[in-house]
Amino acid sequence: MSGRYIARKLVQALVTIVAIVLLNFVLFRMMPGSPERASKNPHLTPEIVAANRVKWGLDKPLIPDQLINYVESTAAGDLGYSIKYRGQPVVEVVVDAAGPTVLLIGLGEAVAIVVGLWLGARSGWRRGGTIDRVGNALSLVFYSMPYFVIGMPLIIVFAAGLGWFPTSGMTTPGGNKTPVEAIVDLGRHLVLPLTAVALGLIGAYSILMRSSIVETRSEDYITTARAKGLPDARILRSHAFPNALLPMVTLIAINLGYVVAGAITAEIVFNWPGLGTLTVQALDARDYPLLQAIFLLIAVSVVIANFGADLVYGYLDPRVRA
Amino acid sequence: MSVGTGVAGTDRATGRAPGSLVRAGGFSRRLLGRTDGLVGIVILLVFGLLALAPTLFVGPLENLTTTSGIPLQAPTAAHPFGTDELGRDMLNLTVHGARISMTIGLMATVITILIGSLVGIVAGFVGGAADTLLMRLSDFFLVLPTIVLALILAPIILDVIGSRAQLLGIRSTLLVIVIVIGLTSWATTARVIRSQVLSLKERMFVDRARVIGSGGGWIMRRHILPNVMNLIVAQAVLTFATAVFTETTLAFIGLGDPSAPSWGQTLNSAQAAGAPGLGAWWYIVPPAAAVVLVVMAFTLLGNALDDVLNPKALSRR
Repeated sequence: MSGRYIARKLVQALVTIVAIVLLNFVLFRMMPGSPERASKNPHLTPEIVAANRVKWGLDKPLIPDQLINYVESTAAGDLGYSIKYRGQPVVEVVVDAAGPTVLLIGLGEAVAIVVGLWLGARSGWRRGGTIDRVGNALSLVFYSMPYFVIGMPLIIVFAAGLGWFPTSGMTTPGGNKTPVEAIVDLGRHLVLPLTAVALGLIGAYSILMRSSIVETRSEDYITTARAKGLPDARILRSHAFPNALLPMVTLIAINLGYVVAGAITAEIVFNWPGLGTLTVQALDARDYPLLQAIFLLIAVSVVIANFGADLVYGYLDPRVRA
Repeated sequence: MSVGTGVAGTDRATGRAPGSLVRAGGFSRRLLGRTDGLVGIVILLVFGLLALAPTLFVGPLENLTTTSGIPLQAPTAAHPFGTDELGRDMLNLTVHGARISMTIGLMATVITILIGSLVGIVAGFVGGAADTLLMRLSDFFLVLPTIVLALILAPIILDVIGSRAQLLGIRSTLLVIVIVIGLTSWATTARVIRSQVLSLKERMFVDRARVIGSGGGWIMRRHILPNVMNLIVAQAVLTFATAVFTETTLAFIGLGDPSAPSWGQTLNSAQAAGAPGLGAWWYIVPPAAAVVLVVMAFTLLGNALDDVLNPKALSRR
């Protein structure tokens, strides 16, 4: 991979991150409860307002002084203090909630990539076959369902109805558990949310993989492989599948943002203590600093994921390195 | 079909078929001949009818004071879909939800398509620095997840325009959802249209228009726009699916208007009332099934349209 390719992608990613931070800066100034508005309190004397403006740095021009100040503190990881969590720095609150989300989405992605790509490849390879028709119909249904719509029936059937799994949360509170018991407990709580996230993703990945394999199937090298007399399964495994996988790398990375955003709705249904549940709490409490930190974290993660995908793509497909 | 005639008109005006394969008669036959297109249209007709006149089918929208049943009742003869925790009839709520969800979806689609088509046509036709700038902008919106951006934009827009404001009888809470979806989802449309415009502007009929002295604005309006109309229609249908999906998600998270129960808003109430844990499936299945059916129908129809209208997709088969 040429250095120029990496450099160009790196610059693009950095420009996007700068734009996100700038957007955050602008939004901070438009938010309800900004210092400008707080100063409109009629009980404050002009002297106090002026003193506060100096204290908060609002007497300096918006650009560049305030902007530099903002970028500096953002870079230093200071995103302000949460309203809901009694003045705890929002970075701490967000990092605490990120763990469960990463666990849920990471496992969901892993399951969905394996199952979705397999299903899509099989469907596209034998277009019109039983697997294709059933798989395609199911994929379309799950693709049309928000994660929480998949999650709610799962609770009704498997938690409220059959009682196989707990209805909500990540752990059973109380009691001294041995490490093994703790892991089993976590696993039992994880099954339903994981199924909801994975099912939603399998739909999307299988549809995309199917069309990718359909396009690959008409390539000349597939005809060549057939002409060589290779068995069908071998052509799929060693010739079609790896090539059809290429566009999927980008698609999976681009989708990551939507996955995170969508998966947070699954968290709400299962009361999973991650970023999604935190987002709803922040919305209910109109905790703007917290909302912005969540936005910044997700947006920047998505940009980084995209950058990573570009690098992987460039490594896998020599044609795009130019 | 207006789509077909619009393109036919262009063919006459330019004196040659600019590569567009659509003829008015063949179009509807080809679309209806496809199972997915037909299924999509039938589902949408049913929901469109419900959305047009919900009162005709199930009476006026029930609220706390006009409830007709006892709270959280499983389906009975009087309430075939059961009742919610306030005793409102679920059939009534779901049918009225069609109107609310689909109106929001339609308005959001209009905004998305307007911005997306404008950006796509200008970026593709003008090219140069304008193109680079617009495409970087669309990259930005493509990368940012709509829902997350909506989460921080919605309270701010609501604060700017005030939560009591109304437009065409629609409360600002819902307008915010419309604006947010429109502002954050145009990038895909812009990309698709731009790539088509890039190839269109190299065609002979654009050169001819230039030679006889037509300005850029005129060419974009009279020559480029009619030729990307096919794409715009297919994109609009697909965008509608996304818009209904996004509205459902945003309303579920808590950005909806409790007095205008869209399907997402009803699911939000169901979650708040603890319906999943109580096993109150009738509270969840009707609105959830409605969302899935509508999103699926629009996706099916959009893909079918894309295949039938888009010459590139045709040659791919």
